Amino acid sequence: MTEIWTQSALWIGLALVATLLAIGLRVATALSEIVVGTIAQLLIGATFAGALMAADASWLKFLAGAGAILLTFLAGAELDPAVFRKEWKQAGLIGLVSFAAPFFGCAAIARWLLGWDPQASWLAGIAMSTTSVAVVYAVMLEFGLNATHYGKVVLAACFVTDLATVVGLGLLFAPFTMKTVVFAGAGIASFVVLPWLTPWFFRRFGNRPSELEAKYLMLWLFGLGALATWAESEAVLPAYLVGMVLAGTVGKDHALIRRLRTLTFGLLTPFYFIRAGSLVSLPALAAAPGAFLLLLAGKLLTKVAGVYPVTHALRSPRQEGMYTTLLMSTGLTFGTISALFGLSHDIVTQAQYSALVAAVVASAVVPTIIANAFFLPRHLLPAKESP
Amino acid sequence: MIRKILVGYDASDSSERALAFAVELARKFNAELHIVAVSRPPEVGDDVETSAVMEQSRRHFRRLLDAVRAKVGTPPPACVTQVLVGHPAEQMVRYAEANDVDHIIVGHRGHTVFERWLIGSVARQVIAYAPCAVTVVRSSKS
Repeated sequence: MTEIWTQSALWIGLALVATLLAIGLRVATALSEIVVGTIAQLLIGATFAGALMAADASWLKFLAGAGAILLTFLAGAELDPAVFRKEWKQAGLIGLVSFAAPFFGCAAIARWLLGWDPQASWLAGIAMSTTSVAVVYAVMLEFGLNATHYGKVVLAACFVTDLATVVGLGLLFAPFTMKTVVFAGAGIASFVVLPWLTPWFFRRFGNRPSELEAKYLMLWLFGLGALATWAESEAVLPAYLVGMVLAGTVGKDHALIRRLRTLTFGLLTPFYFIRAGSLVSLPALAAAPGAFLLLLAGKLLTKVAGVYPVTHALRSPRQEGMYTTLLMSTGLTFGTISALFGLSHDIVTQAQYSALVAAVVASAVVPTIIANAFFLPRHLLPAKESP
Repeated sequence: MIRKILVGYDASDSSERALAFAVELARKFNAELHIVAVSRPPEVGDDVETSAVMEQSRRHFRRLLDAVRAKVGTPPPACVTQVLVGHPAEQMVRYAEANDVDHIIVGHRGHTVFERWLIGSVARQVIAYAPCAVTVVRSSKS
């Protein structure tokens, strides 16, 4: 056990450093954890031949995997079902365009410009297609657009984009056997049962210090995750869908969501994102930076080409439309999950994985810088005079 | 004539000084005092974390603004409090325009290198784009 406690102390120490960096730089902790994981692996891995980091230890894989599942569930639970039901046609169209443009664009870049094999190219398309709903929600609040028709449609569209990404990841690489049918059947039955079973169960047994709610949710998430991996799909697919179907009930219980966030961010996701970073090979990235740069450019250009005309059609002001579009290019969580799925299923090589994760990280940073530098609303354009 | 005064507040030392100055000015002109706090999402955000940060900071600022009424002393000026989301300078100028504010008061304090690189100083941005007079309350150190 000494070895495990030493390794876990090291990983939690790295998580603490990453969190302090994230606070100082005002960036997402996930981003900081990926970068810290990459650098730690380079330094500690080189010194101790990778034994101390132990990124492939089974206990660490469990914590990381549980982090990805709970994080995906929480992302799904942020859906506003009322808005989604009202605006699903328009949101569905925009969301699918926002998914399809980078998906096909980046898959084509990977296949035809980088010479990746078809499976790796599709995975590149999936990893580059995501959008961060919460980031776009923050922009909508900032502009006071969250209560408008435009704001609601764009937000619902972001959910459609992420749903398409997760479904794509869960089904594109699945072998479609009897196991797939069993998984799909059990999944559909669960999504029908959960919205009425869960509130009843929580009313009957919940609200106690024993955190029954967390255990109940994790039972469903891990159970469906096991079924998904048995069917050679991906565990985050049912987790996101469970989050969506419970958004109207569990998602509105702010105290429970806060407790789940504490569990997720405090213990689980540091292991996930640091591990994702530690599997990046900086030497491979430095040897062939073209793949990373092409994928990054591909994601930005295809997102802008796909989404900006739609914001224009919805009569968003030009600056705010472009600002929204650029921030729709961020998507650390699902981008990293997709890339790691590819690496763990031997769909991509470590060099390809490194290029994908670097492009995902850069796609969170670069559009923010461009948006702030050139497309901020007029009040934040560079100052004309200094005090 | 100053009828409406807007002050940015985040419970920092500089904003406490700005608030004290704004209260004094509001009493002198018998003006309505608008106290706003701005919750800032991370510069580079991600899914669930950005929602968590915004929810927590909005709750924190609502509590601060509830408590701030006690600080304005007696006789209290007419007071409006509001929590906004976004870049502080952008939100303050927007609010000033929407509410016909006659005078904005802001504190002055340091920012991280990254923040300054991305958007520059809040006070500088407010001065550049405010639709009315602006007072920057500096600390003795700055």
